[in-house]
Order: sequence, then C-alpha cells, then structure tokens
Amino acid sequence: MVPRRIAVAPAAIALVVTAAMAVAACGGSSKSDSSSNNAASGPAKQNVTLTMWTMPNSPNPTGDLQKLLEPFTAQTGIKVNVQVVGWDVQLDRIRNAAVSGSGPDVTQAGTTQVPFFAALGGFSDISGKVAQIGGSGGYNPAVWNTTKLSGKNGTWALPWFTEARAVYYRKDVLKKAGLDPATAFKDWDTFRASLKAIKQKVPSVGGKAIEPFGQPGSKAFDLVHDMMPFVWAAGGSELSSDHKTSTINSPQAVEGMKFMTQLIQDGTFDTSQLERDGTQVENQFKGGKLAVWIGGPWVLATVGRKDDDTWSSAARKNVGIAPLPAGPVGKAFTFLGGSDLMVFKSSKHQDADWQLLKYMASDKVQSQYAQLLGMFPAKQSAQTQFGEQDANHQEFLDAVREGRTYAPIAQWAEVENAYKGSFGQILSDAASHGGNVSDATLKSQLDKAAKQADGLLAQSTG
Amino acid sequence: MVVPSLEPDVRVSGPPPALEPVVGRRGPSRRWRARRHRLAYRFIAPALIFMLVIHVLPTLGGVALSFKNLNTFTFSRLFGAPWNGLENYRAILFDSANPLHDGFVDAARNSLIYTSTTVAGTLTGGLGIALLLNRKMRGIKVVRTLMLLPWIVPSFVVASLWQFMWQSDDGIVNKVLVDYLHLLGHRPVWLIGDNSIWAIVIPSVWRGLPFAMLIFLAGLQAIPAELHEAAAIDGAGAWQRFGRITLPLLKPLIAVQLLFNVIYAMYQYSIPVVMMGTNPGPHADLMMTLIVRQSFTNNLFGFGSAASVLLMLVMLVWVAIWYRGFRKEFEAAPA
Repeated sequence: MVPRRIAVAPAAIALVVTAAMAVAACGGSSKSDSSSNNAASGPAKQNVTLTMWTMPNSPNPTGDLQKLLEPFTAQTGIKVNVQVVGWDVQLDRIRNAAVSGSGPDVTQAGTTQVPFFAALGGFSDISGKVAQIGGSGGYNPAVWNTTKLSGKNGTWALPWFTEARAVYYRKDVLKKAGLDPATAFKDWDTFRASLKAIKQKVPSVGGKAIEPFGQPGSKAFDLVHDMMPFVWAAGGSELSSDHKTSTINSPQAVEGMKFMTQLIQDGTFDTSQLERDGTQVENQFKGGKLAVWIGGPWVLATVGRKDDDTWSSAARKNVGIAPLPAGPVGKAFTFLGGSDLMVFKSSKHQDADWQLLKYMASDKVQSQYAQLLGMFPAKQSAQTQFGEQDANHQEFLDAVREGRTYAPIAQWAEVENAYKGSFGQILSDAASHGGNVSDATLKSQLDKAAKQADGLLAQSTG
Repeated sequence: MVVPSLEPDVRVSGPPPALEPVVGRRGPSRRWRARRHRLAYRFIAPALIFMLVIHVLPTLGGVALSFKNLNTFTFSRLFGAPWNGLENYRAILFDSANPLHDGFVDAARNSLIYTSTTVAGTLTGGLGIALLLNRKMRGIKVVRTLMLLPWIVPSFVVASLWQFMWQSDDGIVNKVLVDYLHLLGHRPVWLIGDNSIWAIVIPSVWRGLPFAMLIFLAGLQAIPAELHEAAAIDGAGAWQRFGRITLPLLKPLIAVQLLFNVIYAMYQYSIPVVMMGTNPGPHADLMMTLIVRQSFTNNLFGFGSAASVLLMLVMLVWVAIWYRGFRKEFEAAPA
C-alpha cells in the first residue's frame, strides 16, 4: 500500500542521519598506524609511524616539533605524527585514551599529572630502559621525582623539559629605590622592606604608575605553584611524609601564607592582580605595571623576541632575575614544573616509542627544544650549558637546582585543586580586609583545605 | 484500478486514499483512523529512538552512577564500580563533616540568588524595553535591531568582555562609576569577594534582555489597539490599562519565558567559568561549576551524578509548580 512505502522512506532517512551523527560525534580518537614493524629494533631502519600528542609549548607547536624530529626520522626511519592537544582538554583526552586503550603512542604530560595517569594503569614502565641514557643520575632528584607514583614501583615517564619560578624585577626601579639587587630579595624581611621602599620611592616610571608586586589569584592554574614555595620556605609541607594526610594547616604553612597577607597589608601587593589569570599578570609585568613578580623562565625567553609586543621598552631593557627569598628555615625553595613524556601501554610500537624518548633525552635535542620554548632542559648535563647564556639564565639555573616538586600521588590534581580554592580564598579575603587577617582566620581556612585534602587522600581503591 | 470494498467513496483522482477521511455514517472509520495513526507513529519513531538513546538512557545511566562510589581509583570501572547506595546523597545533603557538603550548600544558595535575580531582571527589563519600543516613531526599527545585539554575542565573548569590564583598577565599570560619574568614592572589587555574584548576574541579564524583549514585543503587538482605546475612553489610566489589559494578555508569554529562563539560569555554566575560572569562589560558584569541577577535576563522578540528580529533581518540582500556576494559559479554549 502506498502509505507504508511513504512511511518507510522518511523513517529510513532519519535513522541513517541519526546514525551518521552519532558516529561523527563519537569518532575523533586517533589510532596509531599499524604499519609493518620490522622485528629488529636496533640500528635497522623501521617503517613505523608513531602518533605523539603534545601541548602548545612553542609558538608553532606542530611545525617546531616536526622540525626537531627530522633528524630522528632520517636516522631511524620512524615517522612521528605530531598532534597538538590544548592544555584545557589534555587532561580529559589523555585520561580517556589511557582508560579506553585507544590513543596515541606517546604523549606529553605535565609533571604534576604523571602520578594520576600512571595510576590509571595505561602507561608503560620504562625503568628497565632508563639505564641506556644514564639512568636517574642524569636528572636532578626533584625532576626525577616527577616520574614516580607513590606506592607503585616503576618509572612511568621520562622528563622532557623543566621550569622553575624565580623573582622577576625591574633593574631600573630597584636602582631608583636605592636597592642592591644582590641583597634586595635575600630573605623574607629584606623582600618586604624592598617592596616597601619601591612603593615609597618609585610610584611611577616615565609617567606610568607602577605597583611594587602582584600575583594572580584563583583564576591562575598555577596559583599553588606560586604560593607553595613560601609554605616550604617556612618549613611547611603540602603533605605528610607518608603522603597519607594533608599538613597544609600546620603552623609553618600558616606562617608561609601569612607572609603573603602581610604584603597585602603593607600595601605593596597590588590586589587588583588577583582578579586576573596568570597570563594577564605576566603581561602586566611585561607592560611595565609591576616592579616585582614571580614567574617562570618562558617570559625571560620572550625578552629578545621583537614580535612580542606586550613588552614595554622600559621593561624589556631592565629585566632582572633573582632567586626566591630564603624563609625562616634559612633556605629558599622554588616550585619545579615542566613536562614529561609517557608511553602508552596500548602502543604497538614500544621499542620505537623508547627510541623516540631516547632521542628527546639527548643533550643536543634537549637544548634545542628548551631554547625554543624558553624552558630548561630536564637533563642536568644540558642544563648547565643552558645556564651559561647570561646572568639571568644562571639565576634561573640556580633556582632549578633548588627546586622542589610535590608528592607523586595519583590524587595530586584534586588536592591541588582544594589548596587552590583555599589559597585563592585567603588572598581575596585578605584583599577585602586590607590584609588584616588574623592567624586564627588563616588557620581555619587552611583547616578546611586540609580536611578536603584528607577526604581526597582517603579515597579507597574500592 | 483496484477499488477496496471498504472504501465506497474513493475517488479516481485526487489525494491518496489514506489521507482522505473516509466518512461513513458514524464519522471517520476506525480503520482509517488507525492507519493514519500508524503513519504518524512511523514518522515520530526515529525522533523517539534518538531521544531515548541520546537523552533518556544516559540520564538513567547518570542516576545509576549516583549510587556508586566513583573516585580517582574506581571511576575507570564506571558501572562496575563499588555500590554506594544513598551515601553520596547523604554526604552532600546532611554530612557537615564532609567537605563536599559545604561546597554544595554554597553553590545551591548562589544558584538560587543567581536564578531569581537574573530571571526577575530579564523579564521586567525585557517587558519594560518592549513597552518602550512598542510605538511607531522614526528610527524604531534601527533601535529594535540594535537592542538585539547583546543576544547575538556568544556567551563566551560576553563573559570575556565583562571580565575586562569588571576589573577593579582598569575596568570601564569602575572608571565610569568612580572617575567619570563620581557615584562612588572607592573602587569596588567585582570579580572576587562578595560582589562576584553580581559580576555574573549583570552580564546574564544584559544578554537575556533582547530575547525577552523580542517575545514581549510580539505579544504586545498582538494586543489590539482598540482594547486600549476603549479602556481609555472609559477612563482607565495607563497603569490600570497595563494591569488589566496588557499583563493578562501577555500571561502565556510570561509563563513560557519564566519556565525557560529559570531552567537556563539554574544550568548556567559558561559565564561564571569563563569569567572566573573553574572555581569562581564561594559567592559565585553555581551548581554546574561545582558539579563539573568535582566530577572532572576531582574525578568524583558519584558526587557529580548525585548533585545532578538533585538538581534535576528540583527542576522537576519547579516545572510542576509552574504548570499548576499557569495551566489555565495552555488549556485549549472551549469550542
């Protein structure tokens, strides 16, 4: 009958369209080419294509990395398909790839993310192979720490590049304030005094107002990296030594956070920076609105770039680097970050993946890539020659050597999130009360963070 | 041509027989009606299947997940994760020792404030502007088109723009309030602290006004001018005419706007997250930013599911209340 035929056609069309949409929506995961893989993994050239995920580290992420890998492909015959994954989605993508078993062969991962990914069980343990490149001895202990997972033996990643935070300051502003850069940021007391001197004596430069100091608030992804060094310098720690409880509410941690609220009270901390995210505050320093700022090495790398127009000419010509001030324990600490490379367990080319990692870990490639990024090589041998460029780079190198990393637990991102909320809250409360925050209030804020972290640490494997 | 014996009135030419009501002595035959309904079901079937697969099944899956203990170590097992019963719900709602509880209470409170102020602002503002624009004057079409612009701007752009506008030192809002108009002596902080809720309400109202205005304008133009003229002749003032003629005739439109705006506001995510990051702080954290943060950054998918189910239940209650209040507007008028 005619009606039946009419009815089937639209229904069929609709179903096909639905199915097509569903397939299009679900697709998108990359699979490594399973090209023919020669049995020998030695010097014989292999006809293999690896898929590698990377984040936007450099101005032209895909192009830069492909250029870096040309000698590798020429030498070994292994081709690398570089895919760029944005920082905003990389955690989800890598997690999904690890859990589902379908993803790239090799991926970049943030140093603080490695334990979480390793705990998912989707990555290969390379501890048997690292001896080929000199083992853990080739790396700074804090950097090597980022390849571990608390409670599970093994090496789950290979360090790729490293960054550390240091104090950026304006040489001309310090000079005008009568401060000697060698001693201006020596310890907490001199740091405070220097900022006060800058506030008094140098309210503006060349007609433009300048604030002594500023850091971003909870909108910055790295708020905890900025604040934790002060907790460390006061003798505190993010977790207990057995990694089972949070110690962020210890008296030392309170002292560490108090240093920041005191800067707000002094009026030297520009609290409007708390409304901005990390990149915006970076641009404030580069644009000449801040005299002192704590940041990573990539900003130093942009000083020489003529196409970076966020620098004001006065700021560009007067950048100085100093290590973070020593705290009450007599030592300064800084946060050590960067990225590592991880090999997926589901990859069908484990040997080729290791060859890629080995290539990335060679001194020449380490220096080349780090130079491009404005980061530091992860390998110590490459780091030394990197620091020899100029005084500022040497200061950064010293900072890297004094660096410290977080406990390598799987739940670190969540604990960091809890701390980030708490630190952000402390700073914004301090800002709205003119920095007048009692120790008891600080302690109760940190108590809340500790309680949240304890809950996250207590997650059972079920 | 075959002439089916049950359809004595079939025509030789014209529309296909099944679409023509076969009218016997007792109205359209039951067989014809059943055939017509079958055709309708076949057309609806693909959409229904799509809805089931894309909407209903995942929702049921989400409800199932809310009863499971999902954390960093167990989430990859998904439906195979350990059973948690009502523990997630109990922890969110009642366990003040559980840190998830505080976050939930703050987010719920903020969402209620956000929803009520945004919807009130959008509807009254939209109606007000529509009343102003409901007249013939030179340039009215240009004005109406310009008024639509905030709605066309994507919410990501709205949030980014307003984030710059709200900055306490350089932002245009404080510049206007303090430097130009001298309305305030100090520069208020909008993006952090107590005022952060207003920092997200105001752009939301700004963005929602055009659509409300458009709907109300259409409604106002459907009200015959004679009604107002007749009332004016009888001595009714402007406010009386508004209350007795305009508002009642607009009630169906108000009802629809109310329903959708409340639901949209309770599920708002993009504006706070773009403006303030994934953790907007205890004054601006809404339900969706809380759920997304706890689920995807903290891997607490069980909590996220439970909070989502609670939110959904609250919305169902709202729809039930709304329906009771506005049911009369939507019942078919008696013939």
